[in-house]
Parts: sequence; structure tokens; C-alpha cells
Amino acid sequence: MAPATIWLLAMLVLPLVVVLVFSFGERAAAGGYSAAVTLENFANLGARWTAFQNTLMLAPLGTVLCLLIAYPLAYYLAVKSDPKWRTLLLILVIVPFWTSILIRSYAWIFLLGGQGIPKLVSLIGYGSPRLINTPFAVLTGIVYGYLPLMVFPIYVSLERLDKRLLEASADLGSPPWRSFLQVTLPLSMPGVATGCMLVFILLMGEFLIPAMLGGGKVFFVGNALVDLFLQSRNWPFGAAVAVALVLIMLVTVTLYMRFTRRWAGGRDDVSLM
Amino acid sequence: MTNRNDFISRERFMAELMRYRKGSVTRRHFLGVTGLGAATAVLGSAMPGLRSAAWAQGNIGDRVVLATWPNYHDPANFEAFKAATGAAVDMNVFGSNEEMLAKLQAGGSGWDVFVPTNYTITTYVGEDLIEPLDMARIPNYDPASFNERFAGPGTVDGKVYAVSKNWGTTGFAVNTSQLGGKPKPTTWKEFWDLTQAEFSGRTMVHDYQLTTIGNALKYYGYSFNSIDANELAEAEKLLMAAKPHLFAISSDYQPSMRSGDAWMTICWTGDGKQMNRDMPEIEYVLGKEGGELWSDFYAIPKGAPHMDAAYALINFLLDPAVNAKEALFHGYPTADKRVDALLPPEVLNDPILYPAAELLDALEFGAAVTLTDPNRAELMARFKSA
Amino acid sequence: MRIYALAVYLFLYIPIAVIAIFSFNAGRYAAQLQGFSTQWYGKALSNSFVMEALQTSATVALSSAILATLAGTMAALALQGVTGRPRAIFDALLYIAVMVPGIVIGISTLIALVTLFDWVNPLLTALWPTGWSAPQLHLGRGSLIAAHGLFAMALVVIIVRARVAGMDRSLIEASADLGATPWGTFRQVTLPQIFPAILAGFLLSFTFSFDDFIVAFFVAGSETTLPIYVFSSIRRGVTPEINAIGTMVLAVSLLILVVAQSILQRGQRKGGGRAA
Repeated sequence: MAPATIWLLAMLVLPLVVVLVFSFGERAAAGGYSAAVTLENFANLGARWTAFQNTLMLAPLGTVLCLLIAYPLAYYLAVKSDPKWRTLLLILVIVPFWTSILIRSYAWIFLLGGQGIPKLVSLIGYGSPRLINTPFAVLTGIVYGYLPLMVFPIYVSLERLDKRLLEASADLGSPPWRSFLQVTLPLSMPGVATGCMLVFILLMGEFLIPAMLGGGKVFFVGNALVDLFLQSRNWPFGAAVAVALVLIMLVTVTLYMRFTRRWAGGRDDVSLM
Repeated sequence: MTNRNDFISRERFMAELMRYRKGSVTRRHFLGVTGLGAATAVLGSAMPGLRSAAWAQGNIGDRVVLATWPNYHDPANFEAFKAATGAAVDMNVFGSNEEMLAKLQAGGSGWDVFVPTNYTITTYVGEDLIEPLDMARIPNYDPASFNERFAGPGTVDGKVYAVSKNWGTTGFAVNTSQLGGKPKPTTWKEFWDLTQAEFSGRTMVHDYQLTTIGNALKYYGYSFNSIDANELAEAEKLLMAAKPHLFAISSDYQPSMRSGDAWMTICWTGDGKQMNRDMPEIEYVLGKEGGELWSDFYAIPKGAPHMDAAYALINFLLDPAVNAKEALFHGYPTADKRVDALLPPEVLNDPILYPAAELLDALEFGAAVTLTDPNRAELMARFKSA
Repeated sequence: MRIYALAVYLFLYIPIAVIAIFSFNAGRYAAQLQGFSTQWYGKALSNSFVMEALQTSATVALSSAILATLAGTMAALALQGVTGRPRAIFDALLYIAVMVPGIVIGISTLIALVTLFDWVNPLLTALWPTGWSAPQLHLGRGSLIAAHGLFAMALVVIIVRARVAGMDRSLIEASADLGATPWGTFRQVTLPQIFPAILAGFLLSFTFSFDDFIVAFFVAGSETTLPIYVFSSIRRGVTPEINAIGTMVLAVSLLILVVAQSILQRGQRKGGGRAA
């Protein structure tokens, strides 16, 4: 336990403390940090309100979309698919993950750009919709990038499901949709909760997908942070934004875990922790 | 040299250049046919520094790391450098001077050579991030042949920190086939108005504050370098109004312009030239109100890990024959008379590279305080995050 | 149901197909097809910077995954005997390590290390005997491995701990009753039971580090990992070389997977399903 503790202290606690200290500082003349004690950086957080707003809207929305698309697939894989092919089908869900997200996003730039899907649509005669550099493009990239993370936990919880429960429910005369609502869905909740939390956490810090598919116009907190460190070189303000982001995550994730734990009947495997 | 090289027509030169660029003829063939090879040989014998191939000054290691801008080098020249010295060029491409400065300020960049723009050099000197150059190791740099207007900012307090690479302008490129018969825009006012009307959703602006804010200031006729709070507030209003109509905020605009997704963009000389060469309907325009005139430099950051290779690369690229090839490839003029002597008249008369005097006179050099002004930096960040 | 699944797989694989198709493009612009060619594969393989970036990525991913797995497993096992306040604090740290976004980890590590080095390096110079060049700390592989390993280690602790909690205790007690040493019990009873979790943690750690861009972007210093190389290449105008790299990485991982799968299956048949 000692190595792990040292690691956590050196690479997590120390950097976060430094960020906290920096967030009370001032921007040096040519950029960077100069020591000071001021609350001005926190008072200025409003200037990044849109970035927080975008993140707090698109991150949950992306999570829900991932869930809606992933659940039927996970259900199919765990319950309906031929067991012979199951492993292969599962592996096929992760394989795209092994090409760099950068390269995959680049493929989407082509697909959503003027020479891709819009061209196909216009060939069929439905005009030429603008797709690239819109929130739609960012959401597509998000769902594409994070779908496997949602499929897996749900699959695991569904696969553990005792099929005899469903048979019993059917024997008792309950229609399939009722069995699903009353048996399958509640039992798969731990997987749903885990998947949602994983995707949500990663989305809150997303930077690459909005940068590549949003054309620099759809701004997440992650993009605001990169910009503050790499363009305006305002380290103290960047530190304040980082502190705010961490606090928001602490609050939302803790509330979320309280809520899902109660919701799933106090089961302990609800989430990562 | 034989008589074959004595004369080559303009048409033939451009045709050979295109063939060479497409890779259908070798470099040697190109140099031979066009007479550039002969010119190099003559220059080489005329200037002792060149003939002794200064980069072959012993073992310089197997690599040199170069931090530079997009579409700014001829890969064939790097291959020639590798063949001559054994050092491969690792190219890191950046979108803005702000980003380069940030990376150097954070330390441990690992770069050997970088390409700062005129207005940044005093900041690098003040922050102690740039190495004073040992001019004895760059014999291909002949101060007398460089235009002082463009090469001057490399010298700070009498010390040379950077040597001139290219100069150019920042205007805009417009795809004229999308104008629907309307006359081509010629001012920044038209640029921003068109963006919010017929070109809605089709315009791109740079992803850094200097030019994007500078050219928004030009809409009102203010100085490109203004840091006046009221003038900046007006520029901010314009930028915020234009933002919903933009296609993207990015300094890498060639792919979108070429694919037809974007129709108009803030643009540098060479990118304008490169796009115009392949797609004549994309034209390069300098706003009548003015805008930016700039010059780029080669410099060595403090603590560069491969110092010998850095000097060798700079010296190699300043060889007039190599530099001419670079200019023909990327379409940015140099400040070196010796290079101009090697360029064909088409290039020297090209209005994209060498704009008319009245357009050029309206332009301003970016100022150091424009780069470091916190209000402009914050304005840009607000614009992007809005 | 099946059609739905098919549609999702199409969604997942169309971009991959686009990448693969363009990797065989003869032209140098990535977005215009100009005939078939395999030249970009040759170019990528003979590009020393690509190969070096690949090597850096592999080294960093392997080192951070090994260290994270070791430290994480040790912690997960040790945690069994820890209760009260130390346990609560450790749990809270783990919780934060998993939750803080990569971008915040990257930025905060960067500014903490840069500040730290600014203090330590002059000190090293002052303390070092004159005439010798003092060693100087800088960002590089070390900081990258440490930063990648942090998240990975937290992940390993969580995964392994879940398995330890579900472990059959009576076996351990039986082993001790039969006179086995603690080490013997660990090697022969505990380890086989938690091994799948350790393996899963290791693979996750490796994948995370290998594909990470954002943390590396800030703390890699002058090191170039594969994602950093790709990012820089995209800026200089994508040539199909990048597509070729992506396709090759994909093909190699598939190959490794197929091999690993067949080995695992053979092991499973022999070992009665323990390794599954």
C-alpha cells in the first residue's frame, strides 16, 4: 500500500494543491504565474459560463444517447445472440477503440464534411445539410467514442441475469414487456449506473472531440482549459477553471452515486467504487 | 554547363516546376533543365561559404527538431538535408505564436530550431527563452543581401537572435465561384459583412487573437495593433455577432477551403498562393483598410538538445538555391536578394507574393505588446467560448 | 433486434473502413481518392519518427501498466486489513483519482512539475561539485509514466479489490490450517483467484496509456508518443501515411487478440475455466 499511497500523494495531491494555490495568483506580464492572493480569478469564472453550460448540457445528453444506443445492443449480445458468436461480437465492439481517437475523429471529419454524408444526401435530393462543426457533429463523435464504455458494463450485468427468472415470470403469465420492465431492467441497473458514470466522467473533461468536430466553435470546459494554458497563457485563471471543474464533478458524481445507490436498493456494485 | 541551360521560357519553367512538384521528374532533372542548378553552381563558386557546404562540418547527430507553421517547407529539401548530413528533420507544426511561446515557457520543448514571427522576438529575449546566434556558424546568412525591413526584428539590442526566413501578409482567401455574380470583396468591411450574410456558415477565422481581433478592428478602421479598451469593445461586438455565422475557428483552413466546405478565410500569403495555384477560383485578397505585414525567422531556443544540427539546418535552409526551392514550393517571398535572383519573373511579378505598393503601405507589423496584452488574449478566449 | 445490432456495428465500422480505404490511396491528399497504392505503408514503416513514436508509446504504456498493476494489486490486498480513518482517506484519494478529468491531471501535473523543477534544478547545480555538469530534472518519459500510471493504478485497485472481496475465504483458511506459509498461500490460493482481475487491470492500463493524448500533450516534454505524432501530422495536412499507421496498429492488435484468445481458450480447457 505504501507505493500506491506515495504515488497518489506525489502525482495527485501535490498537483491539485499546486493548482489550488495558483488559482489565487495573478497572470505574469508575458503570461504564466506570478504569486499573489486574490479571488479575482474565481470572480471571473462567469466569462467561461458558456463553456460550463455547454459541458453541463452536452455531457449528460451524450451520456443518455450512449445509453439509449448501447442498451439494446448489450441486451442483444447478452440475451439474444448466439453464444457461439458472442465473444467475437463483443470483441468487435472494442476493436475500433484500438485506433487512435484522433484518427477516428479525422474519419468523421471526412464523413460529416461536404464530400461525405451531405453529398450523399444531396444526391438523393434532400438538399445539402451542414453537419461538420455543429453540436450534432460533436454529439456523433461523443457517442462514437464512448459507446463501448457503455455497452460493456450493461452487458456484464445482463449476462449475470438468471434466465430462470424470466422463464418464471413468463410462466406466471406476464407478457414479455412486463418481464423486461419488472425483472430485466431493474437487475441491469448496476451496469447502467456504472456505464453512465464512466461516460459522464470522461465527457466532463472532453477536449479533443469538440476541438476536431466542432471547428473550435463548440466549446467544452476542456477546450477553455487548453486555451487558457496554450493560447492566453493565463495559468492562474486556468487553475481557477480547473478547480471549479473538479468541484462540480465532486458534487455531481457524489450526488449521482447517492441517488443510484438508493435507487438500486443499496447494492454495492452499483458503481466503480 | 552546356548551351541547353542558357534559356528557358517562363511557360517551360512553370511546366517543369509542376512536373517536378508532382514527382514525375527528379530534382536533378528539374535543376538541370531550369538552370537553377547552374545558378547554384555559379553562386557556389562565387561565395566561399557555400561551396564548402558548411553543414558538412562533421557529425551533427541523427536528428534535428523543428517547430514551424503549416505548409511552410518543401519535404524534398529535408530529404536532401538528411542525405547530406545524416540528420532527419522532425517537424512539429503549430497554429499560433501564442502556442509556441506557451510550450517554450513550460520548458522541456526539445526543439532545436523554431520559427518565431517578428513581434514575438523581444518577448522571447525578455523571458530568456532564445539563444543568441553565433553568426560564424551560419555563413550562408549575408546581412547585406537581406531587406532590413524584414530582417531587422531578428536583432535585439545589437545581438542577432534570429535570421530572416520569409515575409508575407495576412489577407483573406475567397472562393469567387460562390459569390453568385457579386463583385469580389476587397475590404475587411466586406469580409465581415459577407460572413454575416451570403457566406453565413462558410467563413473561417484564425485560431489566435492577433489577426482575428486585428482584422475585426480593421472593420472600423482602427489600428490592427490597438489595445484601446473602447476599440476592442467594438471589435468584440463584431466578433460575437459574426460567430454564429462562422464555419470554424481554425488556423488550418486549406482542407476545408479545398473541399468546398468553407468559402472564405483569413489567410496568409503562401496558403493563398498554394490554393490559388491548384484552384484558380480561390483568390487572395488584401483588405484595402490594411491588416498585417509580418516576417518570420529561424531561431534556436535556449537549451536546444542538438545545437550543431540546429545551426547546420538553418545554414542549409538559407542557402539561396535551397531557399528558392522553398519559396517556389510554399509561395512565401524571402527577404534575400540572392534568392530573388534565382526566382522566375512570374513569381517576382506575382501580386499574391508581392502586392501593389498602395496595398502594402496600408499594412502594419504586429507589435510585441499586441501579443502579450492580457485584454486581447481574454477577448479572444471569450469569443471562442461564447 | 438483429437488424438493430447490425446498424450499430455499421456505425462503429464505417469510419474504420474510411481509414483503411484511404490508407491505400495513391494521392498525397488524404481526402481525395486517386487510385490504389501501398506506398504509404512503406513510407510509414521507413519513417524513423513514426517508429520511434510507436516505441515510446509502447515503452510508456508497458512501464506504466506494469508499475500500476504491481502497486495497485499490493494496495488492494493490503487494504483488506485497513479500516477506520486511513482506509477512508485512501478511498477518498482513489475516488478523486478516478474522477478528476485527464485534462486537469495533465495541466496540474505540468504546472506542479515545472514549478518543482524550477526550485530543484538550481539547487542541484549549486550542490554539484564545480566542473561537473549537474543533472537537471525535466519533463519526459518519467513524468509521463508517473502521470499515466496514476489513473491506471486507481483502476487496478478498484478492479482487484472487487475480486478480493468476492474471493472464497475458506480456501485461504484451509491452506493456512494445512500448514502453508503465507507466501505459499498467496502464490497457490490467492493469486490464481485474483489473477483474472489483475490481467484485466493490466490490459485496461495499457490501453489507456497507449491511446492517451491529452495527458501526454501536457507532460511528455520533448517525448513524442504516437497520439502526439498523429496530432502534429493532422496539423501539417493529413497524408494517407497516418491512415496506414492507424490500419497497422489495428491489424496488429487484432492479431494479438486472436493469439491471446486462442491461448486463453487452450488454458481454459486445461485449467477448468479459472482463467476466464
